[in-house]
Amino acid sequence: MKREVVIGLEIHLQLKTKTKLFCGCSTDYIGATPNSNVCPICLAVPGTLPVINDHAVDLAVKMGLGLHCDIQDNTRFHRKHYFYADLPKAYQITQYEHAIAQGGYLDIIADGKKKRVRLDHLHLEEDAGKLVHPTSDGRLSGAAYSLVDYNRGGMPLSEIVSMPDMNSPAEAIAYVTQIRQLARYLEVSDGEMESGSLRVDVNVSLRNADGSLGTRVELKNINSLKSIERALEYEIARQNRVLDEGGTLVQETRLWDDAAGVTRSMRSKEGARDYRYYVEMDLAPIDAKPEYVEKIRASLPEMPWDRRDRFVERYGLTLEESQQITEQREMADYYEEMVAAGAPAAKAANWARMEVQRLLREDGIDIASFPVPAKELGALIAKVEGRELSNTQAKDVLSAMYGEKLPLKEAMKKCGASGGRLTGEALKAVIEKVFAAEPEAVDTIKKGADKKGAKAKFLQGLVMRETRGSADPAEVARTLAEMLK
Amino acid sequence: MEFHKLSAREIASGVKEGRFTAEEVVLAAIERVKKYDGKYNSIVTLCEDEATAAAVKADEAAASGVEPGPLAGVPFVVKDNFCTSGIETACGSKMLRGWRPHYDATAVKYMKEAGAVLIGKANMDEFAMGSTTESSVFGPTLNPRDTGRVPGGSSGGSAAAVAAGLVPVALGSDTGGSVRQPAAFCGVQGMKPSYGQISRYGIVAYASSLDQVGPLTRNIGDMALLMDVLAKEDPNDTTCDAYERPSFSGALENASLAGKKIALLSGYERGSIEKPLADAIDRAAAIARDAGAEIVEARLPITMEHTVACYYMIALGDASSKLACYDGMRYGHHADGKNLSEMYKKSRMEGFGDEVRRRILVGTCILTRGYYENYFVPATKVRRMIADEFRELFKEADALICPIIPSLAYKRGLVEEDPVRMYLGDVFTTIANLAGLPSMSLNMGFTSDGLPTNVQLLAPRFGDAELLSYASLMEKAAGAPAAVDPEKEGR
Repeated sequence: MKREVVIGLEIHLQLKTKTKLFCGCSTDYIGATPNSNVCPICLAVPGTLPVINDHAVDLAVKMGLGLHCDIQDNTRFHRKHYFYADLPKAYQITQYEHAIAQGGYLDIIADGKKKRVRLDHLHLEEDAGKLVHPTSDGRLSGAAYSLVDYNRGGMPLSEIVSMPDMNSPAEAIAYVTQIRQLARYLEVSDGEMESGSLRVDVNVSLRNADGSLGTRVELKNINSLKSIERALEYEIARQNRVLDEGGTLVQETRLWDDAAGVTRSMRSKEGARDYRYYVEMDLAPIDAKPEYVEKIRASLPEMPWDRRDRFVERYGLTLEESQQITEQREMADYYEEMVAAGAPAAKAANWARMEVQRLLREDGIDIASFPVPAKELGALIAKVEGRELSNTQAKDVLSAMYGEKLPLKEAMKKCGASGGRLTGEALKAVIEKVFAAEPEAVDTIKKGADKKGAKAKFLQGLVMRETRGSADPAEVARTLAEMLK
Repeated sequence: MEFHKLSAREIASGVKEGRFTAEEVVLAAIERVKKYDGKYNSIVTLCEDEATAAAVKADEAAASGVEPGPLAGVPFVVKDNFCTSGIETACGSKMLRGWRPHYDATAVKYMKEAGAVLIGKANMDEFAMGSTTESSVFGPTLNPRDTGRVPGGSSGGSAAAVAAGLVPVALGSDTGGSVRQPAAFCGVQGMKPSYGQISRYGIVAYASSLDQVGPLTRNIGDMALLMDVLAKEDPNDTTCDAYERPSFSGALENASLAGKKIALLSGYERGSIEKPLADAIDRAAAIARDAGAEIVEARLPITMEHTVACYYMIALGDASSKLACYDGMRYGHHADGKNLSEMYKKSRMEGFGDEVRRRILVGTCILTRGYYENYFVPATKVRRMIADEFRELFKEADALICPIIPSLAYKRGLVEEDPVRMYLGDVFTTIANLAGLPSMSLNMGFTSDGLPTNVQLLAPRFGDAELLSYASLMEKAAGAPAAVDPEKEGR
């Protein structure tokens, strides 16, 4: 029986602020000594009170606007209660009934098709601390004791809750990728799943053939895009199998075990906790008046999808090319700077996608730290277009600019490409040199024994190599033929 | 010199004019505590060294020409739920016995910056939950006016210390009457300012939306002086309003009741109030009338019917939340357990006393799904209706006079057996906390047995200056209460 897959995602984005959500502690916790980024407020020392970090509100509003949400004025925080060692107050300050951003949507492209995923809301909350279990596998079970690191406690998060509008793992991945892209475009979050600044909880169920909704299962502990796909595939297959065998599914939370490639039951709905949510009276409502929201809206950069469509329109790129280039804001900026410096749009796109990407990949660096200025690379590509130098020469020049951090002019000089094209007498001199080195081939041709023209091709190749591609291949062939008559 | 008979204002001007030193005043206060507080147990931690050092420093600064603050050399105590840097802050509980915060509450900081000298921490009901100061881990405090009676609570230690003349002023916290009720029982003046008037930072919380710092003094002049020092905005407490406060002392200078409309609360059984207290209401009304005020009647049907239930829903719900952080891990009483859950349970069972546990349990229940919708949510709605009822009243009237508490100071041990009676005693005080209003417990003299009588005076939100000005006029007619003489054996 064919059942439709229904997926909804909850994404936690760590907001890129300098200080935590309710205190002045640094958010720079990766690699920091455990419990060094803590203060009386985030340790819940009696008598202390939270103070909202306005910058975190700005970032949440920014992200909300990017996702077409309605920004709400006067929203409040709630307390979510539970006793656990990672939570010093024994409640987490979060938004419950009144999220700062309501509704909204994100248009994704999956399997080449556009699709709109509706959002329920985006809200602000603080993160909890981190437990460290001194067992070989880092798990709680079997640990004689546990250690707590509160550096992460109180970090600002925005949780984005989608509607169950996705119907395949590919759509889920496209959604996450695009949320990440938007977060980076808006400089709201690093959006790195590996380091935990973007975390995904997946809700998945199967809709029956009669249209009725199936039982929803929540998947946690998913730490990469690849795991989202694998976990979903496993879980969809599992649910189908249970139903095919006439069994029933239970509403539960399951943990993804990446090493074993399976999901395991963590807790079922029956044991669901009552968090005793209620309004956090230590914090005044969040002020987000229309004037403020408009100010944030005015500060927004061009949205990635608008940019992608504009690149297709304006530069004549294919959707795929445009998507690759606009994936990162910095790469798109780089591309546009190259074009502004005179590089033809199509050629610049090829260079961006091939040469630049190759160098980035090889050295595992980011476009933001790519040392060759876009203006100079653009000028170089313009020279290729003007037939001042060949593609091969230009690649050499780029290597020198990249590897030795040389400015364009010096890199060209170093590669012997500053003299422009090799032509006329200079070209003849090179050919003479090649003839001197390969007398046998010259003889064969002159005798008319080079029936298939293989020797002539051989000589032409040598000339091209000698000129490092700076000669026009057509002229080389013509001159060679003349000189061999 | 009998420093203990001086007001804070007199001490500060004496120090400023060089008639005596801060050190002399502070040493005399410490001496007095050592000599007499054995009778009352109002002060649980005496910080002799810190106080002496602070006084010496203040004198040196004054000698070098630094302008002394408005409270220069004034010794004071704070309730034991005010965080004090390096000084034990136990909240009257085994849970926090021995805990020394690393910081001063904002109110303490402002007092010190004004030149006042902290000489000790005052006893209180455990975690400010109670009205008798009998539930403290440090033992009960006795009422200096009559040691057979309780000083009220939960700021009983602060009220007793001021009544006994150990200090001219003290700070308490008022969640449902915890400053005003002990002020009434001990015969001193006590004020709960408007919610948002004074920073709550550093006050160990009971209920976030109700708690407010309140001064206890022996006269309204000192009360205004303390309000000038304490009522300021604080970046550490965003519920403390950022607005330009008037001069509270200044408000006393042109105080007038002429043409003011003063409302008298009716609609409660006059017989349910002990006679001397009902008489005090009449006397207060007569004073106001003589001063040119028009007396009108006020009925607050919703408030009178629902206040106590509404208050306990909100206060206990919040208390269960704010007291959840005491899990034995980072501070406070710790008990070992086989696992995390057992550690929590044992630490909390051992650390909290009966009344605190009762309130946490009830509060947890109130916030639990089902009860939350049926009890807590309606309580928040009723709370808004109470605030609205007062808003309407204050369109017609400038202030309200009503009882503070239906009874004179309770005999010791009486209420312990009947907590509900204790809760019901809070009917008149809790209204000010629910509606966020400024409220004063004003002494109206003493019974023939020497027990204090009193009235409550309420004003509109942020009408604290007006409240002080009315209170000062009424105090002029009724007389400001003097400190007891501990040498004379009381009842």
